[in-house]
Amino acid sequence: MNWLLPDYLADALPLEAAQIERLRRLTLDLYARHGFELVMPPLVEYLDSLLTGSGQDLMLSTCKLVDQLSGRTLGVRADMTPQVARIDAHLLNREGVVRLCYCDSILHALPADQAASREPIQLGAEIYGHRGVEADIEVIRLMAATLSTVGAPADRIDLSHVGVFRALTQAAGLTPESEARLFKLLQQKDATNLAAACADIAEPWRSAFLRLPGLYGDATTLARARRELPALPALAAALESLQRLADAMPELPLSFDLADLRGYHYHTGVVFAAFRHGFAGAVARGGRYDGGGTAFGRDRPATGFSLDLRELARLAPQLAPRAAIAAPFAEQAGSPLAGTIAKLRAAGEIVVEHLPGAAEDSRCDRRLVRNAVAGASGETDAQWIIEVINRG
Amino acid sequence: MNGITIALSKGRIFEETLPLLAAAGIVPDENPDTSRKLIIQTSRPDVRVVVVRASDVPTYVQHGAADLGVAGRDVLIEHGGAGLYQPLDLNIARCRMMVAVPEGFDYAHAVRQGARLKVATKYLRIAREHFAAKGVHVDLIKLYGSMELAPLAGLADAIVDLVSTGSTLKANRLVAVEHVLDISSRLIVNQAALKLKRESLAPILDAFTAAVRP
Repeated sequence: MNWLLPDYLADALPLEAAQIERLRRLTLDLYARHGFELVMPPLVEYLDSLLTGSGQDLMLSTCKLVDQLSGRTLGVRADMTPQVARIDAHLLNREGVVRLCYCDSILHALPADQAASREPIQLGAEIYGHRGVEADIEVIRLMAATLSTVGAPADRIDLSHVGVFRALTQAAGLTPESEARLFKLLQQKDATNLAAACADIAEPWRSAFLRLPGLYGDATTLARARRELPALPALAAALESLQRLADAMPELPLSFDLADLRGYHYHTGVVFAAFRHGFAGAVARGGRYDGGGTAFGRDRPATGFSLDLRELARLAPQLAPRAAIAAPFAEQAGSPLAGTIAKLRAAGEIVVEHLPGAAEDSRCDRRLVRNAVAGASGETDAQWIIEVINRG
Repeated sequence: MNGITIALSKGRIFEETLPLLAAAGIVPDENPDTSRKLIIQTSRPDVRVVVVRASDVPTYVQHGAADLGVAGRDVLIEHGGAGLYQPLDLNIARCRMMVAVPEGFDYAHAVRQGARLKVATKYLRIAREHFAAKGVHVDLIKLYGSMELAPLAGLADAIVDLVSTGSTLKANRLVAVEHVLDISSRLIVNQAALKLKRESLAPILDAFTAAVRP
């Protein structure tokens, strides 16, 4: 037996674990200061409530087991967002705006790609109860602040709106099958096969679909879209929302891509993703998913973002591990040595007491030693002083 | 950070991509067929070419080890295309994916709906989807080369393989009986790279678009 872990699962060893935990505290404190309340839904719950409103993608990535108490099928969550939506719609039952955040492990039945973990740590924040673009602005700003706070600010935040594609498919009267095919081709900007797939769609819808893959770039993309796409009320409203985001957040590195619609099946409005140089995917993603709570009893507008804290921890600058102070083992409670150690720890120092016979911890750059001069004047704290370890 | 890396495979794709690169003002310093270097600098200091196996091009681009790449449609379908944009058909390295069987084999009879067929191929996903669409069960045998041998040696009833001139088939007394796909090479782009490096990638994409021959 060589104690290998299953594929795409890994231990977080001390350095990585310290980095993840530091980031977790920084970000959850940030969310608390913005009025977001932390919730901790369970690791497993009944499959039907876990998959509500999420579509086929989540079904495939959810590991299932049978509950011995009820005989029902349980799922290990592959995404916490539906759980948090359930908490808002069904348990809190508050009127008005609710801000929730969460941070915990999720399990993917299959890794997202060859470099991904099957156990991401999902960190996210959601605003429920506000239909206006203001809530989208707040979560996009919070996503940007999350990345800045950990020292890895977004180099680009890409915005889109599912209302553009949805308005066009409805106007063109597409069947669900051809909608799904067009959607897949648009995600790949596959202009060649898109032209073939659109061959029997009537104008002006055909040209509009063919233009979508090229409608990406800076804020001028929106003006281009207004010129080039048909004047449908729903489409104009979607572009108007994006324009408001662009106008409200000139401080962020925003870009636009009207064909990029990840999460189209459950998103209902603005969608966004943050990118950073040196990372081959989106660092954080989010969007609006109004009505996600309907199945749980209340139709609630919702918008939010989430990210994988493990990936963020790798991306964010690493702090050098803090040096510690070595101390002799303080056996006697209330002794001057025990008092000195307690004071140092209260001041935030790491003090490692050395068990008899153990080698000094390599993280220590100082040690507590008995002060020969003070020693003569009696039993006081001054008896112990800090000496720098010279490892030459 | 803002340099551009292009993944290419040697041989036909490299040769036929050269005119497109030239249109974007990019001339590789060396030819991978004569050099053994895997990283080739170009006339533009911000652009380099990495030389990888054809079937590895999508993997390099997906994981951001390269920003752009040129890959055959066969390779892209087998890879699945996750994390990639494929905005442009370059119309190069053209060939056809075909089903071939030994001369005298009654293919039409063998692929009636509900029938079962043993097929040797390097292109598992393409073969599986092709026969699934026809409602024919297939036992797929993955091979890495010399597919033509499989039916002759009794390993399989049929093969699914790329055909450009058909001379290898003819020499081994096989006949192409069914067209599966037209293949040509695509320009592929890492999705994050197109967001992050749009300003430097867009001119290359535009130059390629303008230089593609119909």
